[in-house]
Amino acid sequence: MSFIIVATTILKDSLLLFGQLALIITAVMIMVEFFQEYRILDKLLALTSPFTRLLGISGEADLPLMAGLLLGIGYGGAIIIDSTRQGKLSSYDIYLINLFLVLCHSLIEDTLIWAALGAMVIPIQIGRFILALGVCYLVSRFLSCFKK
Amino acid sequence: MQILSRGIRRGLNVTWELGIKVVLPAYIVVSLLNYTPVIKWLSSLLEPMMHLIGLPGQAALPLILGALVSFYAAIGALVPMGFDAKELTIIAAFVLCAHDIPIESVISKKSGSRVSSLIMIRLLAAVCLAMLVNYIL
Repeated sequence: MSFIIVATTILKDSLLLFGQLALIITAVMIMVEFFQEYRILDKLLALTSPFTRLLGISGEADLPLMAGLLLGIGYGGAIIIDSTRQGKLSSYDIYLINLFLVLCHSLIEDTLIWAALGAMVIPIQIGRFILALGVCYLVSRFLSCFKK
Repeated sequence: MQILSRGIRRGLNVTWELGIKVVLPAYIVVSLLNYTPVIKWLSSLLEPMMHLIGLPGQAALPLILGALVSFYAAIGALVPMGFDAKELTIIAAFVLCAHDIPIESVISKKSGSRVSSLIMIRLLAAVCLAMLVNYIL
């Protein structure tokens, strides 16, 4: 008897979680399609350019950074790999882009999901952004010592 | 309109893939383990280490699953454990910094970077951010 109660609770709760995730993921996917259709990322590049300038990397880095930040490494991956293969970015630029993105990416999807679970996620995302910027800044200073 | 229907279709596909293959298995296994002594045993084993970032020992399970398997596996595993808001926030800090490491490393590698240092910095950042959140809250 108690097994049935356990099984129904697990089933009910997991379906609830499943539904929540379905809503969020679908909303994110509609956004991804919308971004692709209207080339929204290209229009938002001005937002990341102060940061690429601060880190001393090429302006060509804005597109992969924006793709990673908004869409995530998974869904923005194609854009990230494409833009690094066009040959306009040095390996130094690419390393800093990857360093920034592994620390801080997919701001929209991840924020929605953790907020739905009940974590205080917005301060963490802000902290993560600052952390990624700080780490990249330190590494860029460190690497530029060797470049000269 | 087309965008909407494409988005919904893609969203449901992804949800199905993730949900059936990742979230539900993690959720069900952890829910069942909750009725066995395994979680308590694991918890007492890892308590001292997890204490550093202000989490109970069993929280190691979602952290490890998140780092090595996927973000969504961590979610499937943590929901049945019933953490409070502070613990959830610390777990979020850690998992947001360090998740899907095998998959995301492939992308970093394909775009042309060496990944070993990236992974080290990520793990270090995850621990530091989790400690900071624990200290502030």
